[in-house]
Amino acid sequence: MSQAQVVSDILPQETDVPSAAPASEPLRSALFARYQHLESLRYDYPLVLIEGQEAADTLIRPLTRIVDDVLKAAAPPDASGEAIRQQVLGLEDKIRRRVALGTEGRLSELWQTCAAELVRESGEDRFGPVDANLDKARHSLRVDGRVIGCDETTPVKLLTHAWRVKHDAKARRFRKTVESLILRLNDILKSDHMKSDEAHGPTALASSMASNDDGTIDFQALSEVLHRVRPEDRLPDDRLRRIKSALEVLQRQSFFGPGRASQSSPDRAAPYSYVFDSCSEALDAHRDRLPDVLEFTKALTVAELEVQNKYRPELHDPIFEHFDESELTADQLALLPSALICLRDGVTEIAEIARAYEALASGLPITIVIQTDDILGTTAAGPAPNSFGAGTARLAAMAMGLNNAFVFQATSADLYRMREALLRGNRYEGPALISIYSGATTTVPGVPAYILAAAATESRAFPSFSYDPAAGPDWAARFDLSHNPQPEVDWPEHRIEFEDREGQRQFETLRFTFADFAICDTRYVRFTHPRARSDWGGGMVPVPEWLALPDDSGMVQDPYVLGVDDEHRLMRVVVDAKITEASRRCNDAWRRLQELAGINNSHALRQLAQARREREEAARAAEPVAPAAAPQREETSAPAAASNGAGKTAPDASDGDAPWIETPRCTTCNECVQINKKMFAYNDNRQAYIADPDAGTYRQLVEAAESCQVSIIHPGKPRDPDEPNLTELLERAAPFN
Amino acid sequence: MTASMSQCLLQMVRTDYTMSDYQSEIAPRWCAGCGDNAILAAMQRLCRDEQLPPEKTVCVSGIGCASRLPHYMNAYGFHGIHGRALPVAEGIKIRRPDLQVFVTTGDGDCCSIGAAHWIHAVRYNMNMTLLLHDNEVYGLTKKQASPTSPKGLKSNTTPFGATLNALNPLTVTLGITNVSFVAQAVDWIPDLLYDIVSKAYHHKGFSFIRILQRCPNFMEHRFDDYVRDPSSTRILTHGNGLRLKPELSRVYKNQQTHDPLDLAEALTLARLEDEIPVGILYNDPSVPCYDELRAGERPSTPALVETVLNEEFDKVGIWPATAAASGSGA
Repeated sequence: MSQAQVVSDILPQETDVPSAAPASEPLRSALFARYQHLESLRYDYPLVLIEGQEAADTLIRPLTRIVDDVLKAAAPPDASGEAIRQQVLGLEDKIRRRVALGTEGRLSELWQTCAAELVRESGEDRFGPVDANLDKARHSLRVDGRVIGCDETTPVKLLTHAWRVKHDAKARRFRKTVESLILRLNDILKSDHMKSDEAHGPTALASSMASNDDGTIDFQALSEVLHRVRPEDRLPDDRLRRIKSALEVLQRQSFFGPGRASQSSPDRAAPYSYVFDSCSEALDAHRDRLPDVLEFTKALTVAELEVQNKYRPELHDPIFEHFDESELTADQLALLPSALICLRDGVTEIAEIARAYEALASGLPITIVIQTDDILGTTAAGPAPNSFGAGTARLAAMAMGLNNAFVFQATSADLYRMREALLRGNRYEGPALISIYSGATTTVPGVPAYILAAAATESRAFPSFSYDPAAGPDWAARFDLSHNPQPEVDWPEHRIEFEDREGQRQFETLRFTFADFAICDTRYVRFTHPRARSDWGGGMVPVPEWLALPDDSGMVQDPYVLGVDDEHRLMRVVVDAKITEASRRCNDAWRRLQELAGINNSHALRQLAQARREREEAARAAEPVAPAAAPQREETSAPAAASNGAGKTAPDASDGDAPWIETPRCTTCNECVQINKKMFAYNDNRQAYIADPDAGTYRQLVEAAESCQVSIIHPGKPRDPDEPNLTELLERAAPFN
Repeated sequence: MTASMSQCLLQMVRTDYTMSDYQSEIAPRWCAGCGDNAILAAMQRLCRDEQLPPEKTVCVSGIGCASRLPHYMNAYGFHGIHGRALPVAEGIKIRRPDLQVFVTTGDGDCCSIGAAHWIHAVRYNMNMTLLLHDNEVYGLTKKQASPTSPKGLKSNTTPFGATLNALNPLTVTLGITNVSFVAQAVDWIPDLLYDIVSKAYHHKGFSFIRILQRCPNFMEHRFDDYVRDPSSTRILTHGNGLRLKPELSRVYKNQQTHDPLDLAEALTLARLEDEIPVGILYNDPSVPCYDELRAGERPSTPALVETVLNEEFDKVGIWPATAAASGSGA
């Protein structure tokens, strides 16, 4: 459950003290009885929200990992590094305690404050050994960012950070794309301007010279000369207008801040904000900004066509005239910022959470974060105000039905382990739903949020999973359930230690169920009945086994889970039907998720059983027949045309006397075509062939063969028997035939 | 990205370029029989097969017979000064990375007066293709010995025969830091010449192709033996390099499988004396390109240039604090 490396030495103890039933105070599950004070443990929190260049790949990193990296770099692995190791770990401990108390800040700041404190406590002066060691370690600190603990504010802080990283990366890509286009459009305008009267006027010419006008150059005369040679191919007016208008729109955009170039246009409007508290706000903003989006997209597309000189008014004008919302594609929207909507179950109006599905279904690039602080809900049958209650654990599963939305569900305790999925979500260009259980349930006193969040995953009450539509075409590629503990079984199994009445260390196997999670909640106390050792009887069975019993035998057995009370006494806690029923529902929901992940898939199991039956029947029916020999593969491909010297393949075998050229070997050297353009011609690859053997004399054929640098012309036999000097020509032709 | 819509709209006006679209109005003035014609044909074939828009293609050259090539290409061209084709090409590429840059140069232009630029261009590894037309002689000026002329060549500058051994452009290039693509082609096997030019074009980085080229007037019969005897040409093939067509394979039986990442073997092959190695000697796609390393996060638009300049001026301004506070940067 926890990444704890140091555990408390207090073990749960068996006791004979009987207790009243039902319990008045909630008990804690025996599994996490030992993790009471997390401040002294090195676990996933505090997390550092990584900033800068590493952010895109790392996003978040636990303080402990960062400190490990620092120690690897700054402390030698042998005994000489021991002092610095101890001091830096002490510093880490200090930071963790501060963050647990609610201190916020960047790692570098916390490091500095805590280091100063440690130096003071050590009684040394500044620049003493402790200060020097901590300073040395600080130089190995490669990353920085806000440090956050695990509490009710964690999900929003972390997801806002993730969105910010995505937004910044988008801004960089956007600026690069848009500014390249601005540059190219400016280039076109500038080159056109260079042909204008103004650019060739004496004033412009004079101002283009670096030195003062000392009369050496007569700019008036120069201007007149240039006027005579000036090219006349100016840009057509409509193109000029189009380029200028696209340029203006691109420069004026309000989607991303202009970055560094802001100073040159201080009067421009502030960029749009994309962080919202409700879906209605976000959808309204989208509607309001739509005209701008359309105008910008149009300008961008026009610009892309213009820089390639491919805008054809007759073809493209009609398209851009009727350019409206329906023309917008996901690709185009992906260039623009995506919105972030943070909702909180129990706080945000319930209608807003329902609207989240409307927003997701719209396919717009939005990320909706739903934070839940309570996944058990009230014990009453009706829904709680502004809360989905127990239904919040199913919100994400419902969103997977939309198919086009990236869906992520996890508890605060799993966020670091699920960072790869978070990064995938950041790369996803469509809508995304992120559902997080914070662990900060107010009705569970005395259990740290991190532990409760981990217990929620462990008990399958709030399983971790991700669904990435971009990962592939099927469930196997898209759905990932692997981050849950022991995802292949109903309930994860653990071995717990306890101390028996003789003070001996004992072990017991425990399967952590929804009931183990529920007994910690004050609202469920009245459905639990703790029993001390002396009251344990044969009619008690652990909840997982009880759930597996046939319906009628459940009546005579008492389902129990193991819990500990405030004094660390180990109890069996018998639970009522309210809890067992909820456990059954939880198990049912978990099994459906398992099926989606291919674990115990009912269709596959059925097919497997069918196949097995068929195989057995076939085996019974007859003796196995020897497998037929595989048909011999025959060499069917005809041997390639026989080699005929240097790749020669006569064009027409029936007419061996015709002149011909080994065209593929022609080097385009122009020798033959200069002898007779009609007889020799070039093909599509500019290689020679005989276009018309009768367009010239046999003498020309022989001369071409002789002058051909690569000897690929074969003159054949003379076509005109009356041509003079044939005997001599035939002799000369012989080496080439 | 809006690529999809723009791509769709671009498809509407797609032009099917043919070879003749890349032929300028000037007919080649190279001698009949000159190997440069084959190189021009290979270039034009590449442009057609890759459908490179002429307005997005630039041929840059220095001085010499080979350097006349830009005149015969219907594309942007820059007939530069002797030996300085590469600096011009680098300037074009860094300012306009969207253009396809080809450099045509001769053995004199590249290996003599332009040698310094050649070395640094290999080291910069900018994304462009260099075609070294190596006919082992200065032809435009009517036969003077060039750095690659064979020892003993009698020319106008070496009437008693060239004194020194010829420079080997392949070994030199292979020895330069950051080398990423080195190939050798011969003008008299046009299919292979085309394949190699195509491989070079697809390589991201500086592609260096030395093309042995016949000069029928001043180096007559220099390569006759190789043209006549296919076994004297060793074709380098590999899954990651050239794959020989069956009809060529039947003629050129002297083949060797050579891994283009094997630099040591590439150097051995480059030093072959009796045979001509043809193919891709070395190809390492992982070498970083200078144009990408130096490409800023953002292009230098007029607005950005103005901002940066103003920031610099503000540093030496009289009231920099006031100027910064007002946000005008003026």
